[in-house]
Amino acid sequence: MASGHVIKRAKYKTSPKGAGTPGVLKMTENKIMFKPNDPTSASKIDVEFRSIKGYKNTKEGSNNPPLLNLSLEQGGSYIFEFENFLDLQVCREFVGNALTKSGDAAKAKSGDNAKAKSGEAVATSDRSTVTYPDEQLISSAEMELRIKLLRENSELQNLHKKFVLGNILTESEFWATRKKLLDGDSGTKSKQRVGFKSSMILDIKPMTDGRTNKVTFNLTPEIKYQIFALKPAVHRAFLNHVPNKMTEKDFWTKYFRAEYLHSTKNAVAAAAEAAEDEELAIFLKDDDILANAARQKIRRVDPTLDMEADQGDDYMHLPDHGIFRDGSKEITDSQHEQFKRTFLQDLNRQGEVVLEGRTIDVELEDPRTVAEALAQSRQESDENAKQERLDRISRMTEMEDLQAPHDHPLAPLCIKDPRDYFDSQLLKISDDTRAGSEQLRCSLSSEEAYGSLRGSISEIKAMGLSDPVVRPEVAVMVLNGLTQNISSTKFQLGKNAQESILNSLPNTTKEELLHHWISIQELLRHFWSSYPITTSYLYAKVSRVKDAMSKIYPQLEEIKESVPSDLRQQVFLLVRPMHQALDAAFQHYEADLQKRSAKSGEKPNGYV
Amino acid sequence: MKFQIEDVTVYFPYDHIYPEQYAYMVELKRALDARGHCLLEMPTGTGKTIALLSLITSYTLSKPNNPVKLIYCTRTVHEMEKTLAELKLLHAYQTIHIGDRARILAVGLSSRKNLCVNSRVLAAENRDSVDASCRRLTASWVRAAAVANPNLPTCEFFEEYEKAGSNAVLPPGVYTLQDLRAYGKEKGWCPYFLARHMVQFANVVVYSYQYLLDPKVAGHLKGPEGISIKCVRRLRRRFKATDAGRLRAEYNRLVEGLAQRGNLPFTDNWLSNPALPDDILKEAVPGNIRRAEHFLHVLRRLVQYLEGRLETDNVEKEGPVGFVASINTHAGIDQKTLKFCYDRLHSLMLTLEITDTDEFLHIQTICDFATLVGTYTRGFSIIIEPFDERMPHIPDPVLQLSCHDASLAIKPVFDRFQSVVITSGTLSPIDLYPRLLNFHPVVSRSFTMSLTRDCICPMVLTRGSDQLPVSTKFDMRSDLGVVRNYGRLLLEMASVVPDGIVCFFVSYSYMDGIVNSWNENGILKEIMQHKLVFIETQDVVETTLALDNYRKACDCGRGAIFFSVARGKVAEGIDFDRHYGRLVIMFGVPFQYTLSKILLARLEYLRDTFQIKEGDFLTFDALRQAAQCVGRVIRSKADYGMMIFADKRYSRHDKRSKLPGWILSHLRDAHLNLSTDMALHIAREFLRKMAQPYDRAGGSGRKTLLSQEDVEKMGDGILNEMQY
Repeated sequence: MASGHVIKRAKYKTSPKGAGTPGVLKMTENKIMFKPNDPTSASKIDVEFRSIKGYKNTKEGSNNPPLLNLSLEQGGSYIFEFENFLDLQVCREFVGNALTKSGDAAKAKSGDNAKAKSGEAVATSDRSTVTYPDEQLISSAEMELRIKLLRENSELQNLHKKFVLGNILTESEFWATRKKLLDGDSGTKSKQRVGFKSSMILDIKPMTDGRTNKVTFNLTPEIKYQIFALKPAVHRAFLNHVPNKMTEKDFWTKYFRAEYLHSTKNAVAAAAEAAEDEELAIFLKDDDILANAARQKIRRVDPTLDMEADQGDDYMHLPDHGIFRDGSKEITDSQHEQFKRTFLQDLNRQGEVVLEGRTIDVELEDPRTVAEALAQSRQESDENAKQERLDRISRMTEMEDLQAPHDHPLAPLCIKDPRDYFDSQLLKISDDTRAGSEQLRCSLSSEEAYGSLRGSISEIKAMGLSDPVVRPEVAVMVLNGLTQNISSTKFQLGKNAQESILNSLPNTTKEELLHHWISIQELLRHFWSSYPITTSYLYAKVSRVKDAMSKIYPQLEEIKESVPSDLRQQVFLLVRPMHQALDAAFQHYEADLQKRSAKSGEKPNGYV
Repeated sequence: MKFQIEDVTVYFPYDHIYPEQYAYMVELKRALDARGHCLLEMPTGTGKTIALLSLITSYTLSKPNNPVKLIYCTRTVHEMEKTLAELKLLHAYQTIHIGDRARILAVGLSSRKNLCVNSRVLAAENRDSVDASCRRLTASWVRAAAVANPNLPTCEFFEEYEKAGSNAVLPPGVYTLQDLRAYGKEKGWCPYFLARHMVQFANVVVYSYQYLLDPKVAGHLKGPEGISIKCVRRLRRRFKATDAGRLRAEYNRLVEGLAQRGNLPFTDNWLSNPALPDDILKEAVPGNIRRAEHFLHVLRRLVQYLEGRLETDNVEKEGPVGFVASINTHAGIDQKTLKFCYDRLHSLMLTLEITDTDEFLHIQTICDFATLVGTYTRGFSIIIEPFDERMPHIPDPVLQLSCHDASLAIKPVFDRFQSVVITSGTLSPIDLYPRLLNFHPVVSRSFTMSLTRDCICPMVLTRGSDQLPVSTKFDMRSDLGVVRNYGRLLLEMASVVPDGIVCFFVSYSYMDGIVNSWNENGILKEIMQHKLVFIETQDVVETTLALDNYRKACDCGRGAIFFSVARGKVAEGIDFDRHYGRLVIMFGVPFQYTLSKILLARLEYLRDTFQIKEGDFLTFDALRQAAQCVGRVIRSKADYGMMIFADKRYSRHDKRSKLPGWILSHLRDAHLNLSTDMALHIAREFLRKMAQPYDRAGGSGRKTLLSQEDVEKMGDGILNEMQY
C-alpha cells in the first residue's frame, strides 16, 4: 500500500478547465513536489502533507479527465491531471494514506487539533469509524461483483456480516485479502487479445462518388496491419521503400492502384502496368514469400491429408496423360498467369492468417512500428509441431467406439464441500487398515462390487432377463458393497479414533466450531498481514482485530465446557490448535507493543 | 479381442467389433481358403481396413505353412499412411498378445520423391526431376565414373546402403513412409532402395495400385471403384526431345552397347512393372529396329505420320486396327514393330546411359502409344480433335488414345495373384464389376451397416428460401436467384451447424463463379461471420495447406467451411469425419462433361459391349460421385453427420434410386422435397438428438457392437443378418 514514494507524470492546473503545466509529480511520505518539464515555469510546488486539508478526484467512467484536487488548509487548491485513471488511483491511495498519517501525527502533537479540522473527505481518526479513504474508488462494476460473490457464498456472507458490519474490519480490508476472487473474472477479460475479424480483406471496398472516375479507399491502422499480415510481400516492400524511397501515402496509393487493377480482372492490363512500374509489379505478382512458406509448411502437414505426396505416385501428373478435355480444366492464358491471383487464393490466405491470430501487441497507430513488430514476430519460428502431428495421427487411427472408453475407472472429481472429500479419503485409509478385523465389509471392495454389477448388467443385455434376474447372493453382495460407503459414517461413529471427530459431535456444536474456525482464520490472516506496523492505521487495525480475537477465545472455552463429557476429549483436540494459534497472535502483539513503547518512550502508550 | 473364425484365430485390436466386420472377415476368410478372387462391398465408416488387415495377418498366424503375403494397394499416399498407421496399431496388439511369433515386416513403398532423404535431390521440383536427379547420382555408370573421378557427386545415402550390402535390412515392424525416412536418416541408408529391397521379404506391402497395373495402359484409373480404367495418350505438337540430330550423335557413340542388354544392375531398372504382358517380354525385338539408327528412322516416320494426322479439320475417331493399318500404308511401319517401340526405347536409353529421363518423357509417351496400338486390337480408340469445343477458332490439335476396357489393365494382376480382393464402400451394382473387369470372383458380397442410432441424415433440398427451385442444370446455373438461394442455404446452415461444413460443387469453374458472386452480393461476408472459409484450388500444395488449416479451425472450435469439387482430389481421398464434417452440402448433380469425345467413345463402347444405356450410365456415375462426396462424413458409428443434396433433380426417382442403399435407407419420404427453412428445422432437430448420450452397444433388438462373448455365442448367426 504505502510504499516510500510515488512518481507520476501529471499536469498541474490551477483550475479544472485550464490547460495546465506538464511535469512530474513526486510524493513522499510527508511531502508533495511538482516539477514542471519546463524548468523556467513558475508552477513549481513543494508542500508538506500537513498543510493539505483534503482531496477530491474525478470518478472513472465519467467524461472528465483524471483529475486530483488537493485542497489546502490555508484555502486554495492544487489540481493535477494524470495521464490515466490508473495513475490517479495510485496517487489518490497514496495521498489518502499520507493524510491519515499526517493527521494522526498532527493529533499526537496537538491533541484534537487535526480532528476538528479534518473535513468530510479526509479520513477521520475516530477509532471506531475509520473509513479507509479508497471507498469511493470502487467502481459500480466491482461493487456488483462483490455483491454477487456474497450472494453466492453464504460462508463469505457470514464473515462479512460479522466483521465488516461489526466494524472489526473495513470493507476494503475485507476484500483486499480476496483480490483473487474479485479479479478472477475481470482480470482474464482484459488480458484476452482480440483476434482478427473473419472477414477482413472484404472490408476494403472502394467508394465511388458516382460522378467522377475517382475511387476512394478508407484506410485505418487496423486495415494496414491486416494487409501486412495477409501479404508478406507488401509488408517487405513497405519496410524497404518507406520512408526512403517513397512516402507512406504514395505507397498506399500504389498498393490500391494494384488492388484496383486486380479487381478489374484484367490480367493483360495488369501485366502492362507492371511492366512500366516495377514497384507496382510487386503488388501484382504472386507473393514469393508465401510460396516459400507454403513449401516449408507442406513438410509439416498431416500426412493423412497430404495430397501433394500423391503427385509423384500416379500417372496423372505426367505430361500427356489423363483426359485432356474433360471440361474440368480451365482455359487460362499462361502468359499472364502470374498476374492472375485468384480470389480463392485470397480467401485461403485469409483463413490462415485469422487462425494464426494476432502476433503482435503494439499500438496500431504508426504503420512503421507495426511493420517492424510484425517482421520480428515472423522470425520466431514454431517448432514442436511435429510431435503434435504424430499424436494427432495416432488419435485419428483408432476407431473410437470399438475401443473401451478410456476413462471408466475414474469418477469425476467435483469437490463442493472439501469436508466430504477428506472424510471419504479418511474412510478409505481406515478401510485398508482394518481389512483383517472386519470380515463382512472387506470381502468386497467397491471396485469389485462395481465390476460385478457391470458384468451382470452386460450379461443381462446379452441374454435378456433370465428367471431369477440376479442370483440372490450376488444381489446382496452388490447391495452391501454399494451402500456401505453411503452409510459408513453411521457405521463407524465412535468406533475409530481416526474418524473425523466433527461428525461425532452434535450438529450445533459442530457448526459453531466450524464457524469459529473460519472466523479465527480470517482474523488471523488480517492480523499477521498487518505486521510490521508502519502506520497508525495499521496499528488501529491490529488492535481491533486483537479485540475481536480475544472475544472468540472465551467462546471456545465455553464450547469446550458445554459438550457432554464423553466428547470433551475430542472437542478439546479440535479447539486446541485454535487456541494455540490465537495465543501465538496475542503473544506477538504483546511483544510488539512492548518493543514500541520501549523505543518511543516519549509517546503515550498507543496513539489513541 | 480374440475369436475363432472356423479354423482361424483372429486377433482384433479392439474390445468390440461391429457385426458387419465379423461377417466381412468370414467371407474374406472363405475367399482365401478357396484361393480365388473376391468382391466385398461395405459402407464407409464400418472399419473395412482394420477388418481386412487383422483377418489376413491372423490367417498367416494360424496357418504358418501357408503364409499369405499381402499387397495392399491404395489410391493415394495419404491413404497409404492411414493404412499403415492402422496396421501399426494391430501389430502392436498382436505382438503383445502372441509375442514374437506375430512379428511381421510391413513397408510402404512410394516414389523417390516421397522417400528420398538426400537434400540435394529433394531440391528438385516434381517427381520426374527427383527421379532423374536420383539417377544422376546413383546410376551404375555414374558410380563407376565416380570411382575414377572423386569429384563426381554421388549420393552418400546410396553409397552407404551399397556398402552395407546384404546387412542392409529392416528389422521387423511396421514402417510408414515417415518411419522409413527416419530410419534411413538414422542409419545413413537410402530409404527408397532399402524399401524396394525389403519388398521381397515383407509380409505386408502397401503401395499405390498404380505400381501393380501396366503403366502403359493405366494412364488414368479412377480408384478401385472406377467403372473403367481409362487409358489416354495425348500427343501435342512436336516434342523437343526427338531432336534427331542430337539423338543420332549419341546413338552412334554407343550403338554397339546394345548387345549388353540383359544383366543390368537393379538401380538402372525403371520401377519394374510386374504386369508387363509376358508375350512382349519373351518375344525378341524384331530385326528391323535392332539397330539404333533404324529404330530412330522408324520413330521419325511415326512422328511425321502422327503430325500429318493432327492436321485435320474434323474430329476423327478410329479403332486401333484401322489406325495400325493406316500407319502401315502411310509410314511403312508394321504392327510388330510398333509393339516393340516401348521396349526398344527403354533399352536404348539404358544403353546410352541417359540419366535425365525427365527430358525424354515425350518420346517415351510416343513409344508407349505405339506399343499399345500395336498390342491391342480392341478396347481402345484413337480420337483426334483439332480444337477445343469451347474455343473452336483456336487450333489446338490433340490426339488421344482412350482405353474403354478396364479389364485390359487389370488382367495381369488377376493372373499373377492367388487372391485379389476388391473392396470399397461403393461397388453397387456389385454384379457389374466382374463383367467390366472380366474375372470370376468366388465371393461377391455386399454388407449393410448396422446402426445404433440414425447417425446420418440425408436430405434432398429442392427449393430455396423463396420457394423457387434450385438446380445446377445448364439453363439454371447462372440464374442469380439460384445462386442466392444456394448462398442463403449455406449461410443459414453455417449459423446452425457446429464445427466443420463441407460443400461440393460440380466443377471448378462453377465453384469459382458462385463464390465470386456470393462475394459480390455480400453473402460470403455474412457466411464468414460464422465460420472461416477454405477452398480447394487446382494447386495441390495450396489445397493441402487449406485442408490443414481447415482442420485446425475445426479443432480450435472456430469452425470452418471447406469448398470442394466433386471428382476433385479432395472428394476422392480426404475424410471429413467427426467434427471435421458435420454437414456436407452437394450443390447440384455432378454429371460428367458430356461434350467430351472420350466420354462419348466410352459410352459407345459400354453400350455395344455391355448393353448399358448412355443416360443410365451418366446418371449412375453422377450419383456415385455424389454418394462418394457425402459418404466422407462418417467414420464410425459414434460419428454423425448430415448430407444435403441441393438440387431439384435429386427428388426424381430415377436419380435418387441410384444412391447406395445405406444412404437410401435413411432418406425418409418427408425429407425428399425440402426448402431451406424446412431443412434448417430438420438440421436443428437432428443435431439436438445426436448430442444426447446413447447406448453404444445398440439398445433393443439388433446388437450393433459385439464383445468377445457375443461373437463366440452368435457365431454364424451374424453372417445371415448382415447381408442384403
